[in-house]
Amino acid sequence: MLFYPFPIISMLQVTFLSCFGIMVNAIKGLLISCDIPMAQFIINLDNSLPPSQKFIIHNLDSTHLFVQPHVSEMIRSAIAEFRDQISYEKPA
Amino acid sequence: MGHGGDKGRPSKKHKSSSAKEDRRATVVDDEDAYYAEELDEDYRGEGKKRDFSKLELKPDHSNRPLWACADGRIFLETFSPLYKQAYDFLIAIAEPVCRPENMHEYNLTPHSLYAAVSVGLETETIIAVLNKLSKTKLPKEMIDFIHASTANYGKVKLVLKKNRYFVESPFPEARWFSFIYLLLVLKKLLKDGVIAAARIISEGVHGSDGFAIGKSLGELENGHSELLNEAELAAAAEEKETHSFEVDPAQVENVKQRCLPNALNYPMLEEYDFRNDTVNPDLDMELKPQAQPRPYQEKSLSKMFGNGISCKKRKKAIEKLAKLRWNAMALLHGHWCRFGVMKPAFIGSLVAMVSRYSSMCDCRARSGIIVLPCGAGKSLVGVSAASRIKKSCLCLATNAVSVDQWAFQFKLWSTIRDEQICRFTSDNKEIFRGNAGVVVTTYNMVAFGGKRSEESEKIIEEIRNREWGLLLMDEVHVVPAHMFRKVISITKSHCKLGLTATLVREDERITDLNFLIGPKLYEANWLDLVKGGFIANVQCAEVWCPMTKEFFAEYLKKENSKKRQALYVMNPNKFRACEFLIRFHEQQRGDKIIVFADNLFALVEYATKLRKPMIYGATSHVERTKILETFKHSRNVNTIFLSKVGDNSIDIPEANVIIQISSHAGSRRQEAQRLGRILRAKGRIQDRVAGGKEEYNAFFYSLVSTDTQEMYYSTKRQQFLIDQGYSFKVITSLPPPDTGADLSYHRLDEQIALLGKVLSVGDDAVGLELLEEDPDDIALHKTTRRAGSMSAMSGAKGMIYMEYNSGRNKQHGQKKAKPKDPTKRHDLFRKRFV
Repeated sequence: MLFYPFPIISMLQVTFLSCFGIMVNAIKGLLISCDIPMAQFIINLDNSLPPSQKFIIHNLDSTHLFVQPHVSEMIRSAIAEFRDQISYEKPA
Repeated sequence: MGHGGDKGRPSKKHKSSSAKEDRRATVVDDEDAYYAEELDEDYRGEGKKRDFSKLELKPDHSNRPLWACADGRIFLETFSPLYKQAYDFLIAIAEPVCRPENMHEYNLTPHSLYAAVSVGLETETIIAVLNKLSKTKLPKEMIDFIHASTANYGKVKLVLKKNRYFVESPFPEARWFSFIYLLLVLKKLLKDGVIAAARIISEGVHGSDGFAIGKSLGELENGHSELLNEAELAAAAEEKETHSFEVDPAQVENVKQRCLPNALNYPMLEEYDFRNDTVNPDLDMELKPQAQPRPYQEKSLSKMFGNGISCKKRKKAIEKLAKLRWNAMALLHGHWCRFGVMKPAFIGSLVAMVSRYSSMCDCRARSGIIVLPCGAGKSLVGVSAASRIKKSCLCLATNAVSVDQWAFQFKLWSTIRDEQICRFTSDNKEIFRGNAGVVVTTYNMVAFGGKRSEESEKIIEEIRNREWGLLLMDEVHVVPAHMFRKVISITKSHCKLGLTATLVREDERITDLNFLIGPKLYEANWLDLVKGGFIANVQCAEVWCPMTKEFFAEYLKKENSKKRQALYVMNPNKFRACEFLIRFHEQQRGDKIIVFADNLFALVEYATKLRKPMIYGATSHVERTKILETFKHSRNVNTIFLSKVGDNSIDIPEANVIIQISSHAGSRRQEAQRLGRILRAKGRIQDRVAGGKEEYNAFFYSLVSTDTQEMYYSTKRQQFLIDQGYSFKVITSLPPPDTGADLSYHRLDEQIALLGKVLSVGDDAVGLELLEEDPDDIALHKTTRRAGSMSAMSGAKGMIYMEYNSGRNKQHGQKKAKPKDPTKRHDLFRKRFV
């Protein structure tokens, strides 16, 4: 039986500071680092939601995303479901 | 290891009565009745944890190779000195579940025991030998199960003698079972309406329970039909006589059906007494001396025939066997215990002798299926079978290319003359001259229901009217059951031999073959053949290609769900991996490479981009042959692209590398068949890298785009090969990072252009290639739409029955383009035509 090495997604609680003129904004959120396809998966998940529920705050680069702090469980479960779909288990 | 213990077994345990009572009971009782009740309670829910620590081992257990479990599973240690004998025995009585290198798992099923009885093993022999080989005392449940499963099998035989069908009770069992019991079986059969109606009462036999008695095997027809009365019963038992009644040839199918386990449960054995067949003319063909069947080929043939020995020898063998059986019985009852523990060598030779003599007992031909890996020389087995029977032979293959190959094999291995062998395909309509010969054709040609040309109608009529000694069926796993029924009903054959490498289907129809053709007679172990150097030693690898950002983004979009396959197949990383592998094997090793792609769009894209020849459904027969010839002989063409038309029975012995870029969903059969294309043993070619037996000399790469549906399919597809003991190596870094612009699609704009191309083509064009009769379709996509190119839909692909295209019948071809119904025309054109 092969184990599918799923990209380990790391989520970090961070505060995002953005400086715009003299105003300094501080946003609390999650920094997600993952591989390229998983980032796409999360972006796709975000796109499928209505505008009010969108959770990606910044798309930093192809492997890093900055998202709202409350979505970690939702993302994990979505990925778990996706993983189940594409892995085969020999019927007992 | 598999968990398939519950598959296909109606029961693990049943009524615990003594063996004798049990057998008697089955005569009257319908077994299913008491099977069902106890199924659930005992063996379900016991779950994963079972404590075997109290199981008592025999004192000399280390000499014995088997573990037998109460639920019918048997484990075999392959490192045991008795492995070879034990394997031969087990493969005859049980179904292999999983066969890795050191430990095999088998499962006793009613079907496998049916097969065992049909090759001449008897209930008591099976139990005795199993008990000898087992490390522990044989569980009572297993003994009961063997009794229950074999009690009825083989008690009636269907024999075709001088073109008359007889239902016969075979004599050897008469020694073990009460003779009256056997008569009861025949009587019970006759009570059934269908069978009674089919019976032909011949002269010399009167009364409803009168049976014809033959003095000995094979002499039934010598006018010795006698009236049977009660007084003669005992005497008859002593004289080893057979009892039989005749059935109407037209009703044979129905009779057989009534005898199946779901009806009367007396499955018939079918045998052909070809040596005593004087009605059908002999075909003068012998195996050429240089055709030396390999040991496993011999073994599989000996299961089909009883070693082809003469009748006198046979009589001796029967006597010897009777003695041997007595010994086995004595062993079973422990009479020999005083000699102390058994030496393994003795047990081994006993097992070997029993199986040898049981097969010598009978030199008739049995119908059944022989399972050998691709490339292990199935065609030699087929040709040998035909040349032993020496009667007219009808050989069925899956397509025109393999028809040519079979005809070639016949000429190569046997002394058959050119005018005695002919091909019957849409391009070649030949019929042999003389009164016996070999016809090679396709299933489609025989089963075709539509209108035929005059010429082929004549040939098909000839095929219908002739009595075939042997019906040789290639690749039996691919042919749908209804087509088999049709072929079998059209052709009258005395004996059927099915050949296949992969007795697995995604629908569970494979068990139908048990009764449509016959039981599985022999199945070779792939790894043993690899070790013996008979087939290539293949390194299997799964290459993981990550999706690129752009492709995966499109893959995830809902609106692209129909294009998913095209997207993961056309993944630029996969293309680069494929290109890298082709280059590596062509340049560094000088290998011959086949690239498989089910997806037609991908096939065309890859092949044109890499400038390699390709073969798919629409490629004409002539062009196929030409491409294959150049691939075989030219040094410049080392890679070809094949769609799934290349899966089965295209013989390309030169190829030793397979790269699979797309596949038919999760079909285990396809994976194994594709691997089979490179399994043919590679000769010692000096310019290859040093190749001892340990060295891998063939390579099978399956390219998979990670994070996609393909991962699921890929794992599923590998299951069959894993069960055969193969292991797949995972490769993650292909192509190596330092290969930059050497390979295609390095730059992002190229990748995006490719993506645009994939997205712009219609959904139809990126789907699977549509071929007629596709066994996996039934199971894998139950009611999904079948995608295919427009040309496939309109029948221009050449996979249809090509009758109308042949030169002489051109006028038919034109008829096909019928003028359109005027009412259906578009308004604009209606005006013009009216």
